[in-house]
Amino acid sequence: MKWILLVAELLTVGSALIVAINPNILYSAVFLLFSFLGVAVMYLFAGADFLAGVQVVVYVGGVTILILFAIMLTQWLYRLKLKDIGSKFVVPGVVLALGLVPFLHRGLTELGKMVQAAPPEKMAEFAGSPKTALIGKALLTNYLLPFEAITILLLGALVGAVWLARPKA
Amino acid sequence: MNLLDFSNSIEGYLLVSSILLTLGIFSVLTRKNAIGILLGVELILNAAGINFVAFSKFHLAALDGQMVTLFIILIAAAEAAVALAIILRFYRLKQTIDADEASLLRN
Amino acid sequence: MPANSALFAQSLTQWTQGTWFASVPIWVWALVSALLVIYMLALPFGGIATYVERKIAADIQDRIGPNRVGPLGIFQFAADAIKMISKEDYVPPGGDRFLFNIAPVLVVVGSCAGFVALPLAQYLVAGDINIGVFYIMAITTIIAPGILLGSWASENKWSLLGGLRSAAQIVSYEIPVALSILPVILISGSLQMGEIVKQQGWQSGHFWNVFHNPFTLIAFFILFVGGLAETNRIPFDLPEAESELVSGFNTEFSGMRFGLYALGEFVDVFVMCALVTTLFLGGWQLPFVELDKFMITLPSGLIALIQVGFFLGKTFVMVFVVMWLRWTLPRLRVDQLMGLCWKGMVPIALFNILGTAIWMWAFKGQSMLQVALGLFSGGGSSH
Repeated sequence: MKWILLVAELLTVGSALIVAINPNILYSAVFLLFSFLGVAVMYLFAGADFLAGVQVVVYVGGVTILILFAIMLTQWLYRLKLKDIGSKFVVPGVVLALGLVPFLHRGLTELGKMVQAAPPEKMAEFAGSPKTALIGKALLTNYLLPFEAITILLLGALVGAVWLARPKA
Repeated sequence: MNLLDFSNSIEGYLLVSSILLTLGIFSVLTRKNAIGILLGVELILNAAGINFVAFSKFHLAALDGQMVTLFIILIAAAEAAVALAIILRFYRLKQTIDADEASLLRN
Repeated sequence: MPANSALFAQSLTQWTQGTWFASVPIWVWALVSALLVIYMLALPFGGIATYVERKIAADIQDRIGPNRVGPLGIFQFAADAIKMISKEDYVPPGGDRFLFNIAPVLVVVGSCAGFVALPLAQYLVAGDINIGVFYIMAITTIIAPGILLGSWASENKWSLLGGLRSAAQIVSYEIPVALSILPVILISGSLQMGEIVKQQGWQSGHFWNVFHNPFTLIAFFILFVGGLAETNRIPFDLPEAESELVSGFNTEFSGMRFGLYALGEFVDVFVMCALVTTLFLGGWQLPFVELDKFMITLPSGLIALIQVGFFLGKTFVMVFVVMWLRWTLPRLRVDQLMGLCWKGMVPIALFNILGTAIWMWAFKGQSMLQVALGLFSGGGSSH
């Protein structure tokens, strides 16, 4: 069963690699979709079942379609194939990748060692329990302020996006 | 290295999160296409989300990390919508989405 | 991981004690049940639905329909399948081969994956996960990028227009669909499909959710119409209209790729109708009988069979209505379609949620039936 987690992690990382390197922007968007699906499976294994559903609905069913729409609307008429990766950036980029990944991983694991790890049985019980009811309760008690702030943010984003993309008067 | 026990240790999740963050930063820095930069930002946000959820399971055994990830997902959706609206507006102005062309305020 | 797996594992170890089955790990059972549901139910339905649709169309249009291949033309779908498989593998010149290949696959995967959460009988759910309804909603959104990518890869202006319209339609109509599912979740208090059906029995007084309160009655119709729009069926099928856009986003697809698109559409119709049946029409519950009381007298296999029969019967009635509408109603123009969604169905769906919440608070969760019985029998007794 845990090999599915390995496959999901490889899918996520491989798709992200293609997103970063591929000069064709449409292929990048498609592999970003697969990356999102991989992340959703990883959320499932970390005990976040409701979050995995939200990830698929919002990211795959929303953000991916938005990005595909934008790509198709801006590349259709003029058939621009932008030379995307300017070669002067590739070498620093590779240096960044080879230097940053071990640094981040080491830093995060050291941070993890500083924080108290949860006892294994509590961890297993937490991971296996259904989260939807708990998230619902938390949204209305502990996290009420972020919840209300998010509604205002989403309203602002909705109105702003519609206004910005309005047809020429 | 408890990477070999990848479903019971936090190492695997943190490694994936780091790699996604790095690839996101790489996309933001090297891409000329404005939508490509947006793809990088989405990768960065996903990396942060995985990080929060992993710490929530292994070190907290409580719900707080998942709540933060929920809000990250929502904010990322709102930000993607507004960013794409801006890109469409820019395209109407300049007929290109090359990020180097957004240079009216330069010099 | 789903909380039901512990219960499933327990009953499985009970049943398979002492046989060689006991050494098979749980995930093999899960995989086998999921594959069984998809290959024995979803894909055959997709194939036979093409034949059934043509027969129903013929009946409504006062003609005979396919009657050459086999008795009453019943093997027409096999003939169609053989024809599609033997066609040339054609990708339009300048079209994107990779996207052309994966687009129909995304559509089929998105619709077939919704099958595993459908409650066929009380103990026959391939995957009774905690977020059942939410999972089905989430996994059917994978269809929209499939249609969009296929239309782009066709290198055809009209396909692209059809694909853009279809993606916009699917994404817009997800909102009334999701908002109409919410009243049911308010009533049942759980996202799990098995729980939702179990609470629609006769003995608990609830009966089917569609008769619970007048707001769920309206929500039933909103969900049904939204489901029609999600699957690109008439009256919302402008993206693939035959007379408008030369078959829209699937113009350039031929052979098995088109077959996969058509299959994906029919399977999605089934998933939407099954969702409507489970949430509103009581799933596998029999109309006036609750089979729990007969559990000790009838063998459980027979009960499962009866329940599956009722579930499929109700779903097939809904699918028949979907097909009937196809040959009866004209199609909406795309601006009428979007106007209907944003200006009509979203406010009504929001109003339904508000109404259901007020009803649940005012009548303490009782259905219309329970309230009426309370009025008659109680007389002066207060709720």
